[in-house]
Amino acid sequence: MNLPQTLRLGEGIRGMHYNIEGTATLWSAVGERSGDTALGGVERGGIPECSSPFQWAPRGGRLLRAAVLCLILLGLALAPLDAQEARAHASSVWERSIVTVEVARKNYEFYQPWSTQTKQISKTGTVVGEHQILTTAEDLWDRTLVRLQKGGRGPWTIGQVTWIDYPANLALVTTSDTNFWHGLKPAAFGHGKPVDGALQIARWRDGNLETRRAEFTQFSVREAQLSSLEHVELEASSEIQAAGWGEPLIANSRILGIVRAQDGRTCVAIPASFIQSILTALQKREYHGLGYFHFYWEPALNPASLARLKLPGEPRGVIVVNVPQRPDTTTPVLKPEDIILRIDGFDLDIQGDYNDPEFGHLMLENLAMRQRWAGDDVKMQIWRDGKPMEVTYRLPRFNYTNSLVPYAAYDQEPDYLIAGGLVFQPLLDSYLQSWGPEWKQRAPFRLNYYNNEQPTHERPALVLLSQVLPDPYNIGYQEQKCLVVDKVNGQHISRLSDLRDALQKPLDGFHVIDFAAGDSLQRIVVEAGEAEREATARVLKRYGISQSSRLAHPSEIVAGKPVN
Amino acid sequence: MSQSGGWRLLAKKPTRKRVKVSFDVDSLGASFHVHHVLKKCAVIGLVLVGLGAGRAAEPEHSVIQILTFAQQPDWGAPWRFEPVRQMGGSGFVIKGKRIMTNAHVVSWARQIIVRRYQDPHPYVAEVEFVGHDCDLAVLSVADESFFDKLEPLELGDLPKVRSAVVTCGYPAGGEEISYTRGVVSRIELTTYAHIGNRRLLTVETDAAINPGNSGGPVLQDDRVVGVAFQGIRELQNAGFFIPTPIIEHFLKDISDGHYDGFPQLGARVVALENPAYRKRLKLADDDVGARVDSLLPVPSTQQALKPDDVLLRAGAFPIASDGTILYQGNRVSAAFAFQTAQNGESVSVQIWRDGKEMDISLPVYVYTGDQNAGYQYGALPRYFVYGGLVFTPLSYDYLRTRGGNPSDPSNSELYYELYYRPHETPKKTRKEPVVVASVLADAVNANLGQRGRGLVDMVNGVRIEKLEDVVQALQTNTNAFDTIEFLPNHNFECLDHSQVAKANARILETYGLEKDRRL
Repeated sequence: MNLPQTLRLGEGIRGMHYNIEGTATLWSAVGERSGDTALGGVERGGIPECSSPFQWAPRGGRLLRAAVLCLILLGLALAPLDAQEARAHASSVWERSIVTVEVARKNYEFYQPWSTQTKQISKTGTVVGEHQILTTAEDLWDRTLVRLQKGGRGPWTIGQVTWIDYPANLALVTTSDTNFWHGLKPAAFGHGKPVDGALQIARWRDGNLETRRAEFTQFSVREAQLSSLEHVELEASSEIQAAGWGEPLIANSRILGIVRAQDGRTCVAIPASFIQSILTALQKREYHGLGYFHFYWEPALNPASLARLKLPGEPRGVIVVNVPQRPDTTTPVLKPEDIILRIDGFDLDIQGDYNDPEFGHLMLENLAMRQRWAGDDVKMQIWRDGKPMEVTYRLPRFNYTNSLVPYAAYDQEPDYLIAGGLVFQPLLDSYLQSWGPEWKQRAPFRLNYYNNEQPTHERPALVLLSQVLPDPYNIGYQEQKCLVVDKVNGQHISRLSDLRDALQKPLDGFHVIDFAAGDSLQRIVVEAGEAEREATARVLKRYGISQSSRLAHPSEIVAGKPVN
Repeated sequence: MSQSGGWRLLAKKPTRKRVKVSFDVDSLGASFHVHHVLKKCAVIGLVLVGLGAGRAAEPEHSVIQILTFAQQPDWGAPWRFEPVRQMGGSGFVIKGKRIMTNAHVVSWARQIIVRRYQDPHPYVAEVEFVGHDCDLAVLSVADESFFDKLEPLELGDLPKVRSAVVTCGYPAGGEEISYTRGVVSRIELTTYAHIGNRRLLTVETDAAINPGNSGGPVLQDDRVVGVAFQGIRELQNAGFFIPTPIIEHFLKDISDGHYDGFPQLGARVVALENPAYRKRLKLADDDVGARVDSLLPVPSTQQALKPDDVLLRAGAFPIASDGTILYQGNRVSAAFAFQTAQNGESVSVQIWRDGKEMDISLPVYVYTGDQNAGYQYGALPRYFVYGGLVFTPLSYDYLRTRGGNPSDPSNSELYYELYYRPHETPKKTRKEPVVVASVLADAVNANLGQRGRGLVDMVNGVRIEKLEDVVQALQTNTNAFDTIEFLPNHNFECLDHSQVAKANARILETYGLEKDRRL
């Protein structure tokens, strides 16, 4: 990526040089500030009347004094505006790195999965390389149109997403319109936290570049925006409103992160190091998606627990408590009651933290994504049965289908199957989220609870009878909804494809649908054959549904897969 | 007599018997005879008037004001009690020198004061019988002079919908007896809020029933047709009373000196309205019969019934396809047909199975398997304190005390264990799940990560089915450490066994516990 020379924000014009493209002098910088004519109509790149004293020295002291006076007056006039102008100048530089990304996408109602609405979102993108704009992946799914605008105003250009990774919540956008790139400059990534804690958040707003102060709060390991993965994120406090749409977080003329969410004054950003490591690995074709630690552990806070496990010396490490079945075929190397002492050379303390050289103390989950990707091996020093040993843990790849209730199924229309008015859908978190912002409290408890359960070979996923569209065919069942299907016609059901197959094999002319054992309805029976077909046709017509089913391929979104 | 408000209906006219008087007026002897007869008539008349005067006492005289000072336990710290609360309610005199009221008026009572109509003297009452599932209670008063000149109120029949009723009681908002009048709006089975997980026959009225009315009589023609007991805040002009079939069942139950409760069928019965299902079961599409969908772990029911059996009749009641019966002109859930029996009695049931009718005699019992899932009264919560860890059985009362949403991570496993696992995996269900409710901080447990709401899986390698298992596993441990494992992720905590032995007495003293257990 082309990196600009150092752009020192906040420094006044008084006698300081700006290195813009390695060539600008003081006067050029003044000229470029804003087309400001207050200084005597200085043109961009032109030599002002009050030029360098060194050039005019041969004319003697009068000219020298005039030059010095100019400088002094200039300095005095500009002194109160130094900081402001510095910011303005700095902003003007960022004007060439920040663009607006507008996304039009399909928006599905998960309780009416055949129904599609549209949604339009405006985000911020940052130029980070040659013809590369970085933004968050959020709301880029099911996109129908991406447009780009530079300078906060003017014409829009059609854009394309060249790479997207939903678990990492990152995307790269480009455009084939070469004119769009004129005047745009890639921004540089920074590392760590700002020395003085001062940050800025920048975005285009109403045609102007809005830059708002932010104050660094901390680095912490948090659950990602679009997955259950946990990795380091940057928290900052700012008065900016409605941020969280990919705005760059800037310090010392570098990007320290892109903001992915805001809650009150707290802005949460994906750190630049994390982003840059992925993009670098991507470039080298070494990126295979994000990995994670699939086991459960508890902090080793209790010395009695460590004593029971015969760990000598100072309390340290974390205790493995549960090792579920891995999502891949790799043999598990950890066991319950193992004490993990070190991962990838980093010692773990009893709270489960390690000391990251860039971020400070972070939870061990981040070590699955610190310069490591899915499929990589991670060395662990553990304590087992009273003895130390080393194991190699292969990071499983995060896929949304690793969960019994997948977080989402991006870039595919929601699956459903309608049979005689009975509406079947896979159980996804996105279905539960249709209960609104407080869905965790409002969605049916039992459906929510499935998030606590692991997929098994026998039951890798769940299918719901989500609702019944009333028809004489299904009379008596109209009020049934949110029931997990166990069997249809004696066949176990985990996916809609199982259901579709089972409906091909009725029992003596009937469909017998059994639901998961519980305190709700256990079974319904409907007629198969012609009655079912006629009822389905009737329902589709009455409720304005174009097709009775939509069954995509199993929803496995490969992280980091190039779009083209 | 005052004609205001509901007084009119309370006007009690003395009943008079017709006395046939024969007159012989043809002789002096006859006149004497007449005189004698007349004298006799006069005496009889006076007696009758006297009787009538006794019965002419307004029913409100038999309505009692009840003041309860109650103190319920703290399920989060089960050796403690919450502050004493004062509650007001109503009751009425019934036969046998007793007072009938609601169970919720007198639950956890430390003292019950009863007052007669316009009598300032307080009397102390005791609970004689209580039915928490039906929210009824019977009180006795040690000082039997309380019942002097108090007529017991007679029970009436189930009132008809749209007929007028009057409530009588001591609701909030004043000190004196109060009356409201309304009509019967609806009769059906609803949830009795006092216990929370039972549905019994209920009458809805638009007569105002307010806090304090609880336990008071609902009258029609001067007879008790119900006991006022609950309302629903979201509904306007809707109060509920317990009708006489429930009252009579309760009174019959306690006649043997012990209260058992209302039995249940022990099966989930659902409507059988879909023609396809009826066809598959070879049942005519005639709106008769509801389907057994699943069975509760009740041995007698599991032996007698199977899923997909269709209940055609229960006792004298045909069962409709929507799962209802017609009871005195009201469509109510067929569950009522089984609730009319006493615990252990048999109900004759006609079922449809495999295309044929069958008659069976099904004993029905009070179901206690879900006791912990409702409100519990009377028995103090069990607990065991060890090393500062407070072990107690999982119950709805405990969850309610802790608060929070069921889906909160700290609660979800507990709610699942209480409400869903018994239905989904009954063979894996524990008889009495145990939680670590809290931890009484002490040096011996200072480093524990689990500080409460932990569902106990194993203790020292022993799977915990009930509280006694915890006691056993800890007290018989010979290892250096005690290990307690929790669900759902099998995290565990260890305690130094020898240190705990020293700490136990210290913890009890620090926190003011008299005993380390109540089993």
